[in-house]
Amino acid sequence: MVEDQSRLADLRVGISLLWRVALRYRGVAAMSIVGALIWMAMVILVPYLVGSVIDLVVGRAEMSDIWPVLGLMVIAGAIQAVGISLRRYYGFKMSYRAEADLRNNIFTHIQRLAFSFHDVTSTGELMARASSDLSQLRLILAMAPITSANLVMFVVVAIVLIIIDPVLGLTASLMVPALLFTSARFASKVVGFSFDLQQRLSELSHVVEETVSGIEVVKSYGQEAQQQARLDDKAETIYDAAMGMAKQRAIYRPFFEIIPALGTVAVLALGGVRVVDGAITFGEFVSFTQYLAVMVLPLLITGWFFANLPRSAAAASRIDALLETAPDIREPEHPVRLKPGHGEVVFDDVSFAYPDGTTVLHNVDLRIPGGSSVGLVGATGSGKSTIAHLIPRFYDVTSGSITLDGVDVRDLALDDLRSEVSVVFQESYLFSASIEENIRVGDPMASDKRIRSAARLAKAHEFICGFDDGYATVVGERGSTLSGGQRQRVSLARGVVRDPRVLILDDATSSVDAIVEAEIQEALRQVMAGRTTVIIAHRTSTLALVDNVAFIEDGHVVAFGPHHELLEEVPRYAAVLATGAEVDA
Amino acid sequence: MKYMGSAGDYRVDRPGRLVTRAARLAPDLKWQFIGAIAVASVATLVRLVGPLIIRGGIDDGITEGDKRTIIVAAAIYVGLLVVQYFASAAAQWSVAIVGERYLVRLRSVVFGRLLRLDMGFYSRSKSGVLVSRMTSDIESLQEFASDGAVLALTNLLTVVGVAFALVLVDWQMAFTVFAVVFVLAGVTVLFQRQARRAYDQVREQIGSVLATLQEGITGVRVVQAFTQEDAQASTFGRVNERYFEANMAAARAISWYFPVVAFLRIIALAAALGIGASRVLNGTMTIGTLVAFLLYLDWFFQPIINLSNVYNLLQSALAAIAKLFELMDEKVVVDDKQGAFDLSEPVSGSVALETVSFSYEPNTMVLDAVSVIVGAGERVAIVGETGSGKSTIAKLIMRFYDPESGVVAIDGNDLRDITERSRTGALALIPQDGFLFAGTLRDNIAYADPGAPDEAVWNVLRAMGIDHWVRSLPEGLDTEVRERGGRFSAGERQLVALARAFLSDPSIIVLDEATSNLDPETEIQVEGALRVLLAGRTSVVIAHRLRSAERADRVIMVDGGRIIAEGTHSELVESSPRYKELVEVWQRGAK
Ligand SMILES: Nc1ncnc2c1ncn2[C@@H]1O[C@H](COP(=O)(O)OP(=O)(O)OP(=O)(O)O)[C@@H](O)[C@H]1O
Ligand SMILES: Nc1ncnc2c1ncn2[C@@H]1O[C@H](COP(=O)(O)OP(=O)(O)OP(=O)(O)O)[C@@H](O)[C@H]1O
Repeated sequence: MVEDQSRLADLRVGISLLWRVALRYRGVAAMSIVGALIWMAMVILVPYLVGSVIDLVVGRAEMSDIWPVLGLMVIAGAIQAVGISLRRYYGFKMSYRAEADLRNNIFTHIQRLAFSFHDVTSTGELMARASSDLSQLRLILAMAPITSANLVMFVVVAIVLIIIDPVLGLTASLMVPALLFTSARFASKVVGFSFDLQQRLSELSHVVEETVSGIEVVKSYGQEAQQQARLDDKAETIYDAAMGMAKQRAIYRPFFEIIPALGTVAVLALGGVRVVDGAITFGEFVSFTQYLAVMVLPLLITGWFFANLPRSAAAASRIDALLETAPDIREPEHPVRLKPGHGEVVFDDVSFAYPDGTTVLHNVDLRIPGGSSVGLVGATGSGKSTIAHLIPRFYDVTSGSITLDGVDVRDLALDDLRSEVSVVFQESYLFSASIEENIRVGDPMASDKRIRSAARLAKAHEFICGFDDGYATVVGERGSTLSGGQRQRVSLARGVVRDPRVLILDDATSSVDAIVEAEIQEALRQVMAGRTTVIIAHRTSTLALVDNVAFIEDGHVVAFGPHHELLEEVPRYAAVLATGAEVDA
Repeated sequence: MKYMGSAGDYRVDRPGRLVTRAARLAPDLKWQFIGAIAVASVATLVRLVGPLIIRGGIDDGITEGDKRTIIVAAAIYVGLLVVQYFASAAAQWSVAIVGERYLVRLRSVVFGRLLRLDMGFYSRSKSGVLVSRMTSDIESLQEFASDGAVLALTNLLTVVGVAFALVLVDWQMAFTVFAVVFVLAGVTVLFQRQARRAYDQVREQIGSVLATLQEGITGVRVVQAFTQEDAQASTFGRVNERYFEANMAAARAISWYFPVVAFLRIIALAAALGIGASRVLNGTMTIGTLVAFLLYLDWFFQPIINLSNVYNLLQSALAAIAKLFELMDEKVVVDDKQGAFDLSEPVSGSVALETVSFSYEPNTMVLDAVSVIVGAGERVAIVGETGSGKSTIAKLIMRFYDPESGVVAIDGNDLRDITERSRTGALALIPQDGFLFAGTLRDNIAYADPGAPDEAVWNVLRAMGIDHWVRSLPEGLDTEVRERGGRFSAGERQLVALARAFLSDPSIIVLDEATSNLDPETEIQVEGALRVLLAGRTSVVIAHRLRSAERADRVIMVDGGRIIAEGTHSELVESSPRYKELVEVWQRGAK
């Protein structure tokens, strides 16, 4: 019951979105409807002309009387062709335009949804919104103009038939409600299965996606068979849902042929008798059979439209839900201008829990003077990256506040804030683009010279020049054609290419060898000079560079001070860094 | 950049080849397929009798003024319709069975092929494109199977049947109609040529839309961090627009073709009426025959229009299957060869690379005649600058790639002679960024052995000293790790990847900077565990933190794809200035 109701609600939301979309493209839609109406008028005219010809034949007229009618028919045919062309072209145009525009909207929206949303939403799910759900929606939009013309046609044809002969007309018109009723029943039977089918298709897509992105693990454990079994399993469930639908189709589809045929039989029996009785002419009788014939396809299409409407509406409502999801990180209503400053960052009694409830930071107080550098040290999972991610507002604090040069980060325009805070992530994600484009992500305006000097600083310049295509070398997805250390250095270059007040380096040299690391450290000195820098690192040599170290345990800042002081005063600090470990190894 | 091999012979403009090859995928469905066609033919035949009955009703009933005959004809027709109902239902059902079964097969076969392709293929391809092969391409086949196939089949049969019927009713008029059909055929050829190109483009573009979309989603954190949302959106907008254009090209083709077909239908109708009328007037044809002919005519053009309507389904299906064959034609480079054998148990675990050379791309040698021998149970560390080829050695040991020249061997057997099952059972690689699958922590740790009892999982966790961490998670082993393990910190992900490897109990373990994100204390703790867990196993450790090199039995130093020094840590400190320098820099950093 509850499920039915929620489906009904979905349907309403979905249809309202479809309606809004159709309205947005009303110009093109109108052209298509005009085309459909022209087509419809001709579809109605032609059988009438056929009937006239037959009557002329029965009335033993001359061929010279018949030719003009036939000529008229050909003209009607030409006009009909124009109508069809308009109907189809603009119908397509509206639906594809709407699809493309909505896909852009979805993409843009996804780009703005916060980390917290992406943490819990799988890539596959978002992909489904922007692909299969959208095409479902497009199908129904493409059919909308012709369906509306069809509905008009049914009424007009019914009236024409009734005018020709009320008894026969009414009987023949019964076909319309009978077919529409059948297709509605069919639709309601099929909805459940099509929901299932959609669901299972997306599960399958999930298996594929995961296998492709985790292929290295799959292969190294030789788990191809396991993945294959999972996929086969999903394919089998898709089979079940599809066959469930097929069964309903087998039951209902034949009615779509049988019902018009029954109409023809009724016309034959009833109409034949009335011709014999002289109530109608033979030509009118033939018109009837022709009308029935031309109405079949429109009726089927209309049936199809209503059969698919629930499925498309469901897809539309899912799209609507995504577009209506407000980003967790919201622009302030009245953004405050960032004050001039050197990038002082202050955590004031900050607590933070991820949306799933685990509290990760507890009452963190941390003051990083403008232009100074701080190292974050702590055990795995103690909350270092989390602290770093709060500064550019990837997440909002649960309580307390963070200020940049005296302004709460929540009061700054996001663009202002993020263009002053540069992050080198722990995971070196690169786009499948050229190395240069990847670095340029950090600052699209950067001159070539700046790009190169950033690369030099990150010790990436040398190996980049070693490639045949140099900076134009295109890397694989996620940077897969580079070695781990190369990837990390490109990502570092991307982070330092701009000139931010605050630079955050999250374990940014974990994959490079000691010599390169030492060189990078040397270069970093110059970047760090006068710039607020937050460095997450475990290497003593790096920590020796920073002014202060914040030592974090289980989401608490337990000590703060210069590295060498903490080494002496905080035994746990020395233990986490394992400074004495080599000796007893 | 080229994502996949060339289309080869299976292009959309060779539908015949596509179909025969498609059929070869499921020879066992042949009889079911023939059965389905038979049932559909019966249904169509039954349908075709209808107008003949109407002719009888008109000529013997209406024209003669005999009401009884009219009623009898109607009754016969109704009886026929009952038969037609069941025949059509059976046709729908049997075609669906064949179609859907075929799809199950196709999904399985394509995926199976995908799984066999080597890592080189994967790093060349965009994952979005690969996923779209298995989803949107096969889904367009599904659409065809569930909607199009029955329509196509019955309409095709109807056209053929009606053509016969027309000739039977009146051959002279029939040939007039066929003249129109001849024109139609010419027009159709033109249309098909245009539409094929268009649909091919559509398939091509949907792939890049999906790939761009996927990258926009997976890279969203970087995009936001660098406020590139607008730039990203405009890139996507461009790709999306190209897809729109491709679709519109197809739409344009459809928008001229169908009107022409409809017009030709009216021409045929007018021609038939004209000829029929004059024949009825001069007494060489009955009026019933004319009406029946007109009915058949509708049944002739309607299916042609229907066919053109399913044509885009068919065309998408063909384009999709061509893309799938392209994928299936990718050469399987790394594969079990004929006569591959299992390693003899117990695997002692020696690893040897003999003058191995390798390059990812032509002309850029990554490994140059590298020879390494790791004895059973030995622990060897590989050190060297970033990009020197260390991970590549690891990948060759895993047989992610085959060497260009030289041999990689386990227990003296060339990897290429060993079955995959046996190889992967003996080896485990722990890469730097421990990939986790969406699912529970348990699923991930027990990945290699899904049936492993919790007891075994806990044993490993305890040995690694991270059992308390797992216990502290709200749902313990049942914690959802989310896509790529997003629920965890980088270090935690590495710990899980390590646990996964140990549970699989390999004889040879390759650690590729597997602890690089751990804090030193945890790292040492894990190292301690490693010593216990690695006892009796062969291990190859790649690490920039030289602590592992110090503890290794032997150290190999790689530079620019060659081995430049080899020996124990203390030997190398003595003999290799490069190594000595590395150690000194590292020690300065760590103390
Ligand atoms: N998106 C998330 N949702 C829920 N919990 C999370 C999420 N990201 C991290 N956590 C949890 O928050 C804690 C702190 O994670 P964080 O990434 O800040 O650790 P870290 O100190 O940077 O560790 P590492 O040194 O391993 O990178 C961890 O226990 C982790 O499991
Ligand atoms: N899939 C690939 N396609 C093309 N080139 C690649 C691929 N993987 C690695 N390379 C190149 O091969 C060389 C060696 O890479 P490899 O990953 O073996 O280095 P590494 O010594 O492990 O470095 P790191 O210490 O940074 O992990 C690098 O120049 C890299 O750019």
